[in-house]
Amino acid sequence: MRTGVFFCQVENGKNLNVDAIAKYTANLPGVEFVQILGTAARIEVNVLTDLIKMKSLERVVIAGDMPGYFKPVFTKAMALAGGNTDEIQLASFKERGASGEFAQDRAKAVIACASMAVPFSLVAIPAGNPVNHSTLVIGAGIAGIQAALEIANAGKQVYLVEQTGTIGGHMAMFDKTFPTLDCAACILTPKMVSVGQHEMIHLLTNSNVTEVTGKPGSYRAKIHQRARRIDVKSCVSCGLCVDVCPVKVESEFDAKISLRKAVYIPFPQAVPNAFLIDEKNCTYVLSGGKKCGVCVNKCPKECINLDEIDKIIDIEVGNIVLATGYELLDVGKIEQYGYGVYPDVLTSLEFERLTNASGFTGGKIVTKTKRFNKRTQQEEWFFSPDGVPPRNVAIIHCVGSRNKKYNAYCSRVCCMYSLKFAHLIKEKIPNANCYEFYIDMRAFGKGYEEFAERIKQEGTFVVRGHSAFVTMNNGQMVVRGEDIINDKMVEFQVDMVILAVGLIPASGNEELSRILGITRDSDGWFSELDYNGSPTDTEKGCIYVAGMCQGPKDIPDTVAQAAAVAAGVLRTITSGKGVGHLSSLSLNEIETRAKNIHTLSGGHYVNQS
Amino acid sequence: MSIRVNPRFINDLVLFGAEDVQLCYHCGDCSTVCPHADEVYKFPRKSMRQLQMGLERKIETTLEPWLCYYCGQCSEQCPREAAPGETMMSLRRWLISRYDFTGIAKQFFKSRMTEVITIICFALLTGVFLLYYGYSMGNFHIYDGEGAFLSSSFIHEFDLTLGSLLLIFLAINAFRMWYFTMIKGTKIPVPWWLYLKELYLLPWHFFTQKRYSECESKRDPKIFMPWIIHLGLMLGYVIMLVLVMVFIERLQSGPAIQWQVHIFGYIATIGLVTGTIYFIRSRLNKTYEQYKKSHGTDWVFVVLLFFIVLTGIAQHIFHRTGLYELANITYIAHLMCVVPWLLRMPFSKWAHLVYRPLAMYFAAIRRDAITSRESLLKSNSVSIK
Repeated sequence: MRTGVFFCQVENGKNLNVDAIAKYTANLPGVEFVQILGTAARIEVNVLTDLIKMKSLERVVIAGDMPGYFKPVFTKAMALAGGNTDEIQLASFKERGASGEFAQDRAKAVIACASMAVPFSLVAIPAGNPVNHSTLVIGAGIAGIQAALEIANAGKQVYLVEQTGTIGGHMAMFDKTFPTLDCAACILTPKMVSVGQHEMIHLLTNSNVTEVTGKPGSYRAKIHQRARRIDVKSCVSCGLCVDVCPVKVESEFDAKISLRKAVYIPFPQAVPNAFLIDEKNCTYVLSGGKKCGVCVNKCPKECINLDEIDKIIDIEVGNIVLATGYELLDVGKIEQYGYGVYPDVLTSLEFERLTNASGFTGGKIVTKTKRFNKRTQQEEWFFSPDGVPPRNVAIIHCVGSRNKKYNAYCSRVCCMYSLKFAHLIKEKIPNANCYEFYIDMRAFGKGYEEFAERIKQEGTFVVRGHSAFVTMNNGQMVVRGEDIINDKMVEFQVDMVILAVGLIPASGNEELSRILGITRDSDGWFSELDYNGSPTDTEKGCIYVAGMCQGPKDIPDTVAQAAAVAAGVLRTITSGKGVGHLSSLSLNEIETRAKNIHTLSGGHYVNQS
Repeated sequence: MSIRVNPRFINDLVLFGAEDVQLCYHCGDCSTVCPHADEVYKFPRKSMRQLQMGLERKIETTLEPWLCYYCGQCSEQCPREAAPGETMMSLRRWLISRYDFTGIAKQFFKSRMTEVITIICFALLTGVFLLYYGYSMGNFHIYDGEGAFLSSSFIHEFDLTLGSLLLIFLAINAFRMWYFTMIKGTKIPVPWWLYLKELYLLPWHFFTQKRYSECESKRDPKIFMPWIIHLGLMLGYVIMLVLVMVFIERLQSGPAIQWQVHIFGYIATIGLVTGTIYFIRSRLNKTYEQYKKSHGTDWVFVVLLFFIVLTGIAQHIFHRTGLYELANITYIAHLMCVVPWLLRMPFSKWAHLVYRPLAMYFAAIRRDAITSRESLLKSNSVSIK
């Protein structure tokens, strides 16, 4: 079949040489014509039509990072040239993981398959390996918990590694979930408890994965467990140690808007339900055992051992699940919103902790109060349960998201949680005014649009237009914006500004990708094997991604993906075959297999199905 | 009323220097940071929208592009890097070409080649004509007074002829601007006395460029330098224009310095020299947002002006130091730059000297008309509706 290959919007990269690929392509059987169309976004239909006619092409392969974008043009041209429009084949580099060290060969393989009209996913199936039945789950947020529980409930051993002192992740910090307004803790804590009690789950908190060796199906992982310095088994969380501890630091669990001691429990429902010592701030640890140590004497159960040392744990696992989650973008660098300058400009997570019924204000939404800090001799702002509730609150969407300077991508959850915030404010302070500044309302999920409509009906002022900055006028914060729908410039005096800050991959992802050899996309999220076909698998065999670490997603999607990962893990265990690395397949092998399928199907694999 | 849409308008505007307008997703950040956007004139987002929709006939009647002085804050903020500031700038260029009834401006903006070749042609023509005239009427070794190579009375007549030609072009273009914006663009009735009431704005904006300084009202730290330099350059230019058009005979007489006239010339020269050097340097170094992208016509504007100033200074020095031959040569070079420059005036960026104050004036009239109508509607809401 006379085939023409067109390269659209591909650039030479570190590992990608387009000219070399074009040369290789020209030698493929049936390929009559190869053209590199460069990075131009627009392709003229008439030119293409003439080309197809002139070269009498019967099949067209569009190769590039986003070939689907150009398909309509080629289909039109093919139709005008009188060809079969079913013979437009896409060779997507991005989707098939043609980046990183294997980019060149992968791109070639993808084009080879497309030129024979054989689906790449049908050909590129690496050979299986025998599988160890235990699984390593990295990250114990809702994704890790869900995956671990699904696998453990099937009777298989799971090692759940978490870097903080408790499992639960970000979801444990939330007050309500959208769009149902269920209490987040009511969903999460039972799962946390069952993780803590499960006989098949080996929980490793305060731990990091430092090294992974071996091959798919039989990985060996080194886990560095930092000393907790409190015996988990005997600690009864009485809290006597906290009373005597002299060190105060910002609480990570409360998004740094409240203080905790150096000996602490992140939150009362933490799993494992035991205290731990913050080694970075404990006076005893920092002084090398010379100072303090008062908590040791106070503990009635004698479970504090401040001299405990870190452990290295070696485990053997068959599958690895990545569920490392996300972080908030550092909003301090987006200066125009005055975060860190004006006291009552909060990030979304800070507000989430403020409004949480189990938070330190008891769920009361208040503005910050000023107090004099005797130690630093400076005035500082802090949240007091007796603070003044805000009368006007502005919520600004897309802070750092959909912005070429910070995150080009949409963080996906901000619109909905911002609407949820408006609801919570209206619920707790009925006469407060709430202004939502949005660019586009992305209520994409089941029940989300209805939720958005409901919030609008509750009397929230929803302004189509992004506010560009927050200013202070005589002690009163002012938010200015353009109300595009009503064609007005608006200016609101507000007491509190909540920034719907964009999400970025967790900071440990870079190291993990190095340890595991997993590729990350340009934004830093872990790359899945195939965006549509296998969204939970990765390039590496028997390594899976679940939840936010693969890309921003909400809780229902995270849980669904985690469950899907569990299915993949269990599939390898029950079949006894763990899928190998995709890179273990050589270009030659892929080509030969594609050719076999091509000849077996008479050259019309796709059309037959 | 239906409105005609030109779907290719954005593509056309690229020739005038516009960036990818389609990038804009209408967050409104640019309008929010703009110190000049208000209830009546909301821009740049609205202009971006009109562009995306291809409302060519609508944009033709708007005054918003002229209300923007390009401080660059919108482009700095833009999350899509769609460069709204540059879009407003290119809209101004496009409007200049729209106001121009001859269509020459459009050709100049669209093709650098046409513009440069025209300039060179006119420069050579001028040079040849002046040499011919000089040799037939005067002596190459005499600069001023009796038997001068180029006598100042001849130059005076020459200048006035050019000046009136320009004035005719400009007046017609300004009239077209008024027709587009105030007749076609202002749908509500405008009482005649509003034209008188706001008349003071014309000289006010012309001589102070107050609005340019207001660009900095929201920025911190404030960058006043472009405004001061621009004002200096403009005032210097106007003083020089008056001197050349009216006092040329005194300006060019005798080797001795005529302080009553020349002092103004020196002051103007300071403004012109600092201005041209500052703008050329800024455009080269891309110091601020507004200097980061330079359309070809911007370069022609500053560089040609710089040559004019340079040759002007040179002929003045040679004249005063008695090097008459050199003075004559530099003077011809000077005029070779000046004539194309003057002839190019109504068709180029230079025309904003006229359009901008006019736009402020019209904008104020339109605003008055709108607000008075709104208050009328409020007080008699039933009877009028």
